[in-house]
Amino acid sequence: MKGLAQKLRTGQVTSVQLVQHYLDKIQADDPKVQAFLYVDWEGALAAARASDERRKLGKPLSPWDGIPIAVKDNICTVGMPTTCASRLLEDYYSPFDAAVIERIKRAGLPVLGKTNLDEFAMGSSTEYSAYHITHNPYDLSRVPGGSSGGSAAAVAAGLCPWALGSDTGGSIRQPAAFCGVVGLKPTYGRVSRWGLVALASSLDQIGPMGRTVEDVEILFSLIAGYDGRDSTSLPDAAYHCSASGPDTLAGLRLGVPEEFFGNGLCPEVAASVRRAITLMESLGAQVQPISLPHSAYAIDTYLTLVTAEASSNLARYDGVRYGKRVEADDAWDMFRKTRTKGFGPEVKRRIMLGTYVLTASHHEAYYEQARRVRSLITQDLEDAFAAVDVVVTPTTPTTAFRIGEKQDPLQMYLSDSYTATANLAGIPALTLPCGFDSRGLPIGIQLLADHFREDLLFRTGRLLERILGEVGE
Amino acid sequence: MISRAEVVRMAELAMLELNEVEIALYQADLNRFLQSGAELRKVNTQEVRLSSHVGRASSRMREDVIQRSLPQEKALRNGPCVVDGCFRVPRVMEDVR
Amino acid sequence: MTGYEIRIGLEIHVELATNTKIFCGCAVEFGAPPNSQCCPVCLGLPGSLPVLNRAAVEYAIRAALALNCTINLYSEFVRKNYFYPDLPKAFQITQDDKPLAVNGLLRYYLGDELMETQITRLHLEEEAGKSIHSGESIIGSEYTSVDYNRAGIPLAEIVTAPTMNSPAQARAFLEQLRLVLQYAGVSDCKMENGSLRCDANITVHPEPGMRVEKVEIKNLNSFRALERALAYEAERQVRVLERGGTVMPETRTWDERAQKTVRMRVKAGAPDYRYFPEPDLPPLELDAAWIEEIRSTLPELPLEKEARYQEAYGLSTYDTGVLVRAPQLAQVFEATVAQGRDPKFVANWVTGDYAHLARLGGTVSAEHFGQLLDMISSGAISAAQGKTVLQEMFARGVSPREFVAEMGFTVIADRDFLGKVIREVLTGHPELVERYCNGEDRLLGFFVGQVMKATNGRAEPRLVNKLLVEALAEGRNWQPRAE
Repeated sequence: MKGLAQKLRTGQVTSVQLVQHYLDKIQADDPKVQAFLYVDWEGALAAARASDERRKLGKPLSPWDGIPIAVKDNICTVGMPTTCASRLLEDYYSPFDAAVIERIKRAGLPVLGKTNLDEFAMGSSTEYSAYHITHNPYDLSRVPGGSSGGSAAAVAAGLCPWALGSDTGGSIRQPAAFCGVVGLKPTYGRVSRWGLVALASSLDQIGPMGRTVEDVEILFSLIAGYDGRDSTSLPDAAYHCSASGPDTLAGLRLGVPEEFFGNGLCPEVAASVRRAITLMESLGAQVQPISLPHSAYAIDTYLTLVTAEASSNLARYDGVRYGKRVEADDAWDMFRKTRTKGFGPEVKRRIMLGTYVLTASHHEAYYEQARRVRSLITQDLEDAFAAVDVVVTPTTPTTAFRIGEKQDPLQMYLSDSYTATANLAGIPALTLPCGFDSRGLPIGIQLLADHFREDLLFRTGRLLERILGEVGE
Repeated sequence: MISRAEVVRMAELAMLELNEVEIALYQADLNRFLQSGAELRKVNTQEVRLSSHVGRASSRMREDVIQRSLPQEKALRNGPCVVDGCFRVPRVMEDVR
Repeated sequence: MTGYEIRIGLEIHVELATNTKIFCGCAVEFGAPPNSQCCPVCLGLPGSLPVLNRAAVEYAIRAALALNCTINLYSEFVRKNYFYPDLPKAFQITQDDKPLAVNGLLRYYLGDELMETQITRLHLEEEAGKSIHSGESIIGSEYTSVDYNRAGIPLAEIVTAPTMNSPAQARAFLEQLRLVLQYAGVSDCKMENGSLRCDANITVHPEPGMRVEKVEIKNLNSFRALERALAYEAERQVRVLERGGTVMPETRTWDERAQKTVRMRVKAGAPDYRYFPEPDLPPLELDAAWIEEIRSTLPELPLEKEARYQEAYGLSTYDTGVLVRAPQLAQVFEATVAQGRDPKFVANWVTGDYAHLARLGGTVSAEHFGQLLDMISSGAISAAQGKTVLQEMFARGVSPREFVAEMGFTVIADRDFLGKVIREVLTGHPELVERYCNGEDRLLGFFVGQVMKATNGRAEPRLVNKLLVEALAEGRNWQPRAE
């Protein structure tokens, strides 16, 4: 991205040329990948022309002014639909921009369009989109992961230089790993959720996705920051890109939780991640085993909380103020018909489950218990970060699976086994590619750090990325 | 185990209409989920103090200053049925409140 | 109804007098065009988030302190999930097991008896929008129109213990509650606008303490409605019991036209609202210093004021009652008395003419009012003139001194002149003079009135009185002679 910025600054390339390049690429390749739900052909070019004007006047909004971006379609954008890949919101136009959209517009980034996702971000494969399935650019018969599968595939296929996703239990990191790109789930409260259509409010974060750790860090610095419209936004949320540090990881204490390398982990993934750990050790990191004893409960805890919050967050889709209404004789019937027709099966499944765990008779045993175990999981990590600086794990148990392979929702939920922990604890987590399996599918490695230590993740990630590049696959 | 009646009641609370096939499907899914989560309920959490928020934000409040509302036409724009400045819905048979 | 114990509890919703809604910056003005005071937050648009209004919290704390509640330094907002067309998010943000305030107490008079009722809790929540049902009522309507202007107005919900024993007591409680909240300045408490709403629950126990089912009554839009609905409901329940029946737990509504309560729905198990902590709002953690600061700005409350007026000024219960119920009158009273005037004299004027004119509209400053009272008490103008002057002060905002000077209002205290007028009045009413002479003393007032009328109210009343008595006494002697 620094290279692109340099070319824009020196006039070797204009924003219009750059945007046109990506639009051409979308036109050529997106029919195969199907990463986008909506492409803003005219709007992106208009924004590019405005950017070039600013350059001409010597007044770019930022060094990145004119570099386009793709946005997951659960982030509100004025002038484009915001569908959440749901039939219910097919014609929905938000009257306001999400805080992150305001921020990237303030930095001069033209928005290419809106990317595909599992309906309301519920899923791990983008197969639950009500519109179409997105294909993994590495193997079109495979899923890109999800729910930010459209953004991950678009970056991997070169349809955009970087993209925004959202992550509730792994929705940035899992597709990034499946598509061989870099993705960050920021510290909870660092990126404003104003304008992010809520799945589970206590877990959701918007985050950056890109081809390199450096790009992701730059995009993160553009979107992080305090926002008074989000009561969970943190006052010191802003992030400034770290200067490139020393070329070693000397002194870095790296924790390896054995719970993340047990049953269910594909051996090829395990080998690749262990190799990366060895490389980090060779850069001076002190590797030590740690224990996160409650990890085994992360996925059930996560599912209980995410479905509970989602059942409430999605209640507003009743066909009164917006959404595709199914007419009926009385209001209650209209509610039921609208929601039944508008939501896909996975959304209904999660709403049913979430409703169940919140009912008075099950509240204590399920919902409250999950909140308590969430505290234990958070405590595990606090203890871990007293002993180590960065925790390293595989991002996903497997590489990208085939479209249609996972028919069982419970199997699908297991895709988030390694990622959900960071959302439960509110800590930042970075995934970057660390190799390929024997089929040539990318493998991701996940780095976790304590609250607000994205800087550590980026520094470690950059060095790991470099050495992986040097030693080759 | 979740009974069929419970599934029907959940659907009522969630404002969803399920046919027999879906009821059976969700009954099975819910049961499997609850079985897989059985371990979770065995975790000893008696000592855990529940704080309602994992986020570190503390209560910040907004000053009582009027902000511009949406123009009426924008507020109504996404409405599926809008008449005389109001969102119109079919009759409300019963006041549930 | 002897032998039955009635127990009544109230649940009151008060719209707090903030400028903006509880979770967004939309104005809360009454009567704006539909859906013109709405934004993504109060419309529940996807991607919107709530941010708590400090003033809503402050007003709720003021209300809670005025009701002697304990403020919880830690409280939580929760979501109450249910579907209704005018509920934008399909959940209401409210407080459940960790409310803002608990354990309050309100004292009030029921007749001459001082009562007290426990306030169980006071919490903050958001108002819903407004549903306008087509046709006559909800039952026969074809469609419903929804306006979200009211959605998100801050509410304080106040719940009492079910310990009131009569409809009259419930009314007295609610009247006092309204007065206290108005004193605290947290709400205009207008039942006709819905800024103060009350639901009641009532049980009738054949024997004290015996367990019976609770009936809730809604749609109580006035104090009268509250009292009548409870009276009707108590009688209805007694009738049911006397017939050997059982009272069903149900929700009823007050039908104002028919003057009776009507069943809305039977309580088939409590609805499951699936409460859980609102994840978009951190817990409300309050600073004890802030609460003390709010406490220090609370005004003297009605009951304290009542006691002080009776003790310090020796006012009658009637005058005290009128003044305490109308804070603006009380203010004028105190400001006027503060300059050393006779409290009873001031109270008479404030609760009489001033109160009457103020009800018609307008105000007169305490300073001008005081000047007027001084002119009356010094005898510079008569009381009758004073009334006219006060009317002009309200109507035109004139200063009493200027007005009196301008109109040449002065008191006539010329004995010869008044003697002449009196003679004319008496000769004009020989029959009445005769009756007076035969012992009908109360006719004196009539003669005074006639003299005042003849002098355009300018005659000095005490002097007129004196001269008339003299003249009539004389008349008892001269009248027959004149015959």
